[in-house]
Amino acid sequence: MNISYNWLKDLIDLKGNAEEVARQLTRVGLAVEGIHPHGDDLVLDIDLTSNRPDCLSHLGIARELSVYTGSPVKVLTEDVPDVPMPAVLAGDIVRIDAPDICHRFTARIVRNVKIGPSPKWLVDRLEAIGERSINNVADITNYVMHELGQPMHSFDLDKLEGGRIVVRRAAAGETITTLDEVERNLDDSMLMICDAVKPAAIGGIMGGLNSSITDDTVNVLLEVAFFKRESIRSTSRKLNLTTEASYRFERGVDIDNLVRASDRAVRLICELAGGVADDLIDVYPSVHRAGRVVSNDISAAVKRLTGLTVSTDECDRILESLGITAETGEEGEKSYLSPTWRHDIAIEEDLVEEVARHTGYENIGVELPPAFGAGEYQHNEPREKRLRQTLVDQGFDEAISYSFIDTRFDGMFDAVPGLLIHGGGDRFVTLNDSVIEGAVRMRHSILPGLLDAVRLNLNFQRRDVRLFELGKAFAAVGDGEPPNEQELFALVVTGGEVHQDRAMTTRELDFYDAKGAVEAAMAAVGVTDLSFRAADVQHLRRGQAASIAVSGEIVGSLGRLSDNIAAGYKFKQPVYIAEINLQMVLGSAAKTPVYRPLPKFPGITRDVSFIAGRDAAYTSMRDAILSQGSDLIKAVDFVDVYEGKGLSEGERSITIRIEYRSDDRTLVDSEIDGLHLQVLSEIERKTRARPRF
Amino acid sequence: MSEEREKVEEVRTAFLNEFDRFRDLDLSTATLASADEVSRELAELKVRHTGKKSAIAGTMKLIGRVAPEERSAFGQLVQSVEKDIVSMIEAAEAKLSEFISDARIERERLDVTLPGRRPRTGHLHLITILRQRIEDIFVSMGYHIEDDREIETDYYNFDALNIPDGHPARESQDTFYTTDGFALRSQTSTVQIRAMERRGVPIRIIAPGKVFRRDTPDMTHVPMFHQIEGLCVDKDITMAHLKGTVTEWLQRLFGSDTVTRFRPSYFPFTEPSAEFDFSCFKCRGTGQFEGERCRPCKGSGWIELGGSGMVHPNVLRAVGVDPGVYSGFAFGFGLERMCAMMYSLDDIRLMFDNDVRFLEQFR
Repeated sequence: MNISYNWLKDLIDLKGNAEEVARQLTRVGLAVEGIHPHGDDLVLDIDLTSNRPDCLSHLGIARELSVYTGSPVKVLTEDVPDVPMPAVLAGDIVRIDAPDICHRFTARIVRNVKIGPSPKWLVDRLEAIGERSINNVADITNYVMHELGQPMHSFDLDKLEGGRIVVRRAAAGETITTLDEVERNLDDSMLMICDAVKPAAIGGIMGGLNSSITDDTVNVLLEVAFFKRESIRSTSRKLNLTTEASYRFERGVDIDNLVRASDRAVRLICELAGGVADDLIDVYPSVHRAGRVVSNDISAAVKRLTGLTVSTDECDRILESLGITAETGEEGEKSYLSPTWRHDIAIEEDLVEEVARHTGYENIGVELPPAFGAGEYQHNEPREKRLRQTLVDQGFDEAISYSFIDTRFDGMFDAVPGLLIHGGGDRFVTLNDSVIEGAVRMRHSILPGLLDAVRLNLNFQRRDVRLFELGKAFAAVGDGEPPNEQELFALVVTGGEVHQDRAMTTRELDFYDAKGAVEAAMAAVGVTDLSFRAADVQHLRRGQAASIAVSGEIVGSLGRLSDNIAAGYKFKQPVYIAEINLQMVLGSAAKTPVYRPLPKFPGITRDVSFIAGRDAAYTSMRDAILSQGSDLIKAVDFVDVYEGKGLSEGERSITIRIEYRSDDRTLVDSEIDGLHLQVLSEIERKTRARPRF
Repeated sequence: MSEEREKVEEVRTAFLNEFDRFRDLDLSTATLASADEVSRELAELKVRHTGKKSAIAGTMKLIGRVAPEERSAFGQLVQSVEKDIVSMIEAAEAKLSEFISDARIERERLDVTLPGRRPRTGHLHLITILRQRIEDIFVSMGYHIEDDREIETDYYNFDALNIPDGHPARESQDTFYTTDGFALRSQTSTVQIRAMERRGVPIRIIAPGKVFRRDTPDMTHVPMFHQIEGLCVDKDITMAHLKGTVTEWLQRLFGSDTVTRFRPSYFPFTEPSAEFDFSCFKCRGTGQFEGERCRPCKGSGWIELGGSGMVHPNVLRAVGVDPGVYSGFAFGFGLERMCAMMYSLDDIRLMFDNDVRFLEQFR
């Protein structure tokens, strides 16, 4: 908000120049963002918090400064003539039919005015604070609003049917064309200032076009009123119409300031536009009572919350300067009256803030709270930290994508286990609206975000991409229950293997790189019993997809992105992805390793090769070996797999290394020949793989 | 014995003639290959002129023809010639082999400036890096790290935080709602409530997490970002403790000469409320960096970071804590904004693009 330094000087004797005033205002929470020259004036740009509508005027700013200067605000010391028109007569001109949302309404008729341009001083004042001059009467109402904080509206009295005002809610279906020449549809929650027949203005927001002041206006009716904040806010939202007036009314104006503001405006109209004013009409159905805040020892309260030592006298002086007066009840109970312009003073803590900010936050001490106990990370953080670092060490970059995704991903990805837990209804969590086109679904998978990232990087010629992300996915639960939130871990791998500072990749990454990363990640969080099994997963290519299980329980999937999804992204290179319900994995404690004695005797290793179809899995061969149950078989490891020349179509040769070792003696070959043959025939029997010699 | 002597001289002369090309061997224009060739030829010459079958060894057989009294002198002569031959050959050999060995080493000289062999390492996200650093500081100060739901009920997102129905902050259209009426949390202050319900008081927690606001993405706005919220509730907690705590962690992050500034402000869940700024980490509060207007603080010397205040009594009451007995402070700030200032990012949307060229700049 713009405040003119010269204008302020009219209202209060200031100490110091504009910079000093700016410093004082900033110090008490009215942040001056800049000082700009305007003619011989300086304009302060003040950033106000939403709880201080009372400072949306030069009066309000002057009042804050008076605590510091110790001098009173001049307009507040001036008497306001208080001779209203008798209620009987006033009732013929103004009637409030909606007293619940129009708490007070004053009107004053000024006759025989001459509409014309404003004098230079008035134009200058308005232009200094960025307002445009329209005509004398309109400028005066605008001027008084910026001076005293009270919005007001002037009607051409002769255009009001019946020459009178009825304050009522709009009837359903009524319309009004406002000053901005827009026809507005009204509903019965909206407060209207009407003439005898029709709406003439939207109360507190904007006047109607057909009752507005024009160059031909002779008789003016000046409305200065107080409306319920919530009502103005609601109407302003519904009509999507915000004005200087609505901005102030919905935050709260001073109901006791109406007569002063009306008087100020009317005197200026008479002075600058000629005219003679009638008596004030003041319809005030139920008089506002000041709020009362009990505080028996304000000094102690200030000390308790801020650590500041401020005497009761000084507290009272600060509060008094702000218009918050102390009062002692019959039983010695002390309380403070909340002034009508302060809608934010309701409890003792509010008083403490007033004292503290005027005493200065810079005077509050700087100390640490007493020691309390040991700090602690979130339960899973150490393991998640290891997981992140492990992947980073393996060449993965960490991604963070938006939690909302496009509806086009609906049903495209199989959800990880543990996410969808209800039956019936929509399983997606959907937003009412989005700020990103189409992105109204809360993600049920991290993969769409990672795949979008892959596309972006490919578009920027980065074809070798490894990304991972940790974050929540969401699924609806229904029955009024909040959505199921699960922490997931996902990764994507595509392109070649990059070496640091080398231009060429060494080889193309494949399924086993993605799998290796999953294995490393799970090892990092302490998983020892990890297994993979060929699986059908909707978003993965058939034959290159696996389920991931921890201790036999499926926690996610891994594989090559399906051809049709890849085509949708226009990916020309294979993309491998994995997604795991990390929350499930972290649900069980990490296994602590158990020491095994080191071997004392040498072992014998034998490599065996089998020719098998693609359906004979390595793990089933390994399981067949281990199923022998011999305690001489100490290790089974994969050596190599070969396909191509020398083998027929669909066949492959797989080589496995078996380590035989005894814990109590050195084995000789003849000892294990029999066992080894047994192992071979068991593999052959169980997997139909033929030994190759 | 002159005949025999002559014979020896003949052998010497024959050797010298043959050896001539190896004497004063000039290797200045030689290559490793030519040196190898010369070396082979020399070896051949050596075979012929030394050893038992060589011509000079053959002259020893003439000793029988020499008069007995001259045999000793003759023997010495033969030996001396033989020694000369060997030493000349060996000198040439040494020269050659030194050249060859030097040439070989030279041939295997490496360009030590070529990059080392190591797989590319990845990078943590900027937000993770900063979050971990801040968590480390607060854990060392005795705080527990907490997080909770990202999709909340109105109660946790608003009511319990002293933002009742009809409050402007609630109607500001900032909040995302799901179709079944839940709110995406618009601040991690929700965790204050959840954590106090779980742990009771006294409490000291830090709550980092994602929050959501209905801001259309632009250079300085994103609809999802990360906040860190701090809460300390105990007996006799004052704003001095708030100032001390905020100053302490900022000094640990940006250096012990960091200065903080608190300005009165307004938040529904704190009273009194304050915004806090800290002296710019780049220009150390001077507003000037290398003779130019400092970028992160726009020349002001101050960086505006977050909001704070004393926990509103209604918030304490919402979790069953008596504000007459306990008091506390809370503070919060956005990580994206902080990153943007620390790294002079001009477009915070980059944070969620996951462009590798961006991600790999930070570690």
